[in-house]
Amino acid sequence: MNNADRILRAYAKFSGAKLAVKSIDWTWRTITASVPQLHYEGSTVTEPAQILNFLRKQRFNADYELTAKQGADTMAYIALLEEKLRPALLHTFWVDAENYVNLTRPWFTSHSPFPLNFFVPGRQASLALSRILLTKAESPLLNITEVEGKIYSEAKECLNLLSHRLGNFHFFFGDTPTSLDAFVFGHIAPLIKAPLPSGQLQKHLNQLDNLCQFCNTILKNYFTDASAEKRMDCSLTAPHDPVDANLQKLTQLVNKESNLIEKMDDNLRSSPQHRHETKPSARASERNSPLLSKH
Amino acid sequence: MSLAAEAFVSQIAAAEPWPEKATLYQPLKEDQILLSDSASSLAVQTFLRMCGLPVQVSCCANAEYMSPSGKVPFIHVGNQVVSELGPIVQFIKAKGHSLSDGLDDVQRAEMKAYMELVNNMLLTAELYIQWCDDYTATEISRPRYSSPYSWPLNHILAYQKQWEVQRKMNAIGWSGKSLEQVYEDVSQCCQALSQRLGTQPYFFNKQPTELDALVFGHLFTILTTQLTNDELAEKVKSYTNLLSFCHRIEHTYFKEHDRESQSGSPHHYKGSLP
Repeated sequence: MNNADRILRAYAKFSGAKLAVKSIDWTWRTITASVPQLHYEGSTVTEPAQILNFLRKQRFNADYELTAKQGADTMAYIALLEEKLRPALLHTFWVDAENYVNLTRPWFTSHSPFPLNFFVPGRQASLALSRILLTKAESPLLNITEVEGKIYSEAKECLNLLSHRLGNFHFFFGDTPTSLDAFVFGHIAPLIKAPLPSGQLQKHLNQLDNLCQFCNTILKNYFTDASAEKRMDCSLTAPHDPVDANLQKLTQLVNKESNLIEKMDDNLRSSPQHRHETKPSARASERNSPLLSKH
Repeated sequence: MSLAAEAFVSQIAAAEPWPEKATLYQPLKEDQILLSDSASSLAVQTFLRMCGLPVQVSCCANAEYMSPSGKVPFIHVGNQVVSELGPIVQFIKAKGHSLSDGLDDVQRAEMKAYMELVNNMLLTAELYIQWCDDYTATEISRPRYSSPYSWPLNHILAYQKQWEVQRKMNAIGWSGKSLEQVYEDVSQCCQALSQRLGTQPYFFNKQPTELDALVFGHLFTILTTQLTNDELAEKVKSYTNLLSFCHRIEHTYFKEHDRESQSGSPHHYKGSLP
């Protein structure tokens, strides 16, 4: 599961789009094509930002009630996340030796078919490392260890800024979630929930109560069955069990997806944003059933 | 700079007042400097003027190599050298001058977010257009970048720089974008800035902050630089409140100073704003 997946699934839940999540194998596609992909009536869209635009055009819009200024704020905060938090996340999961060897690599190798499991995680790790070095390392800091300090301090500052912005509210813009909430959730959920052996960023995040609360609220309200299984995962200490439990969770998710979405649909229909356009959205959600492929 | 070095520098910085002979270094104005460097340099100059700190602008062909981080512009104050807007803002804050003290936490978070948006979108788009668009790179960027050097060094340096920028674009996923997509991104960024500015004089109402300096630096440079086509400037011009914002800052901080002395004019390529 990567960030883009989480962001999109969260956004889909918020806006009530009926997405059938198809769990695909880590086949050769991941080398040539990028996941996640949205297939709809023959056309394919990739990249989270473009998929969000696509969903908006199809009238599944969680940002309907935002003012123009709030829309601009959304863009700015997403840029902040990408620039400050993403390198540290990449480092935590892919470059930090302990985490990579004990958590990330076993999880990915168990999900990839032979022979991809030998080189796909390594490739992702080297991509992450090169991205960090190229964008953050300047000439006196060519060593990764020196860049580490810088990116972690920037990430902690970014988390503090998000915490200030969120304050005591449930979501970033009032009482209903928007695309910014989906983005933030997508980035911090793995940090909160993954059982990382060495996670200084995780410790810092746990101190920011309102962000943890935000994440748990979203998990509870929009990913009810999944969250119960995730809590089960996190309490297990042996390295093998999270992997198996994740596999089971994934299969169960795929099976239960349609039930969840129907429940969600009902919840969201009663929320204010749908009262504005009840008729069109009802027609839209009956007519459309886009498929979301993910690994 | 590493964190320990940064803390050390800010301690030393706090001890000394701003000297008379602070200097800002950038590449040669007429022949060498490129759009992105010019924008960054103007942003720093604007910020220093907003703080009321005098600085002399010195143009050197090897400014990029003198800089501690490899990026221009950098300032030489007393016996410290600091490069790029972010560290310069912190350095000046350590000296006791700050434009964003009046902001509360939420506003400061917003300001940082918008500064990242400008860096992420506008600066990256400028770099893309300069170095990843073949026509612009061949006609403008490579000749200008290597103009102070003789053959064969000029070719080597120009291609090396282009290769470096293309690698970076690859790493952040911009290499797959077409020029139209980049212009579209610039347009969306300007739209976000325009919506945030609204009808206010500055981004945080009455007082200018480093965000205003950064936005002015980039927008003014885009509007006054002649590239192979005018599409980038046209995108910015379509937002009238951003145009009047640029006029206002130019008038307030540059015209008055120019009447007193001849230094520090922001007019680089084409003269004044439309």
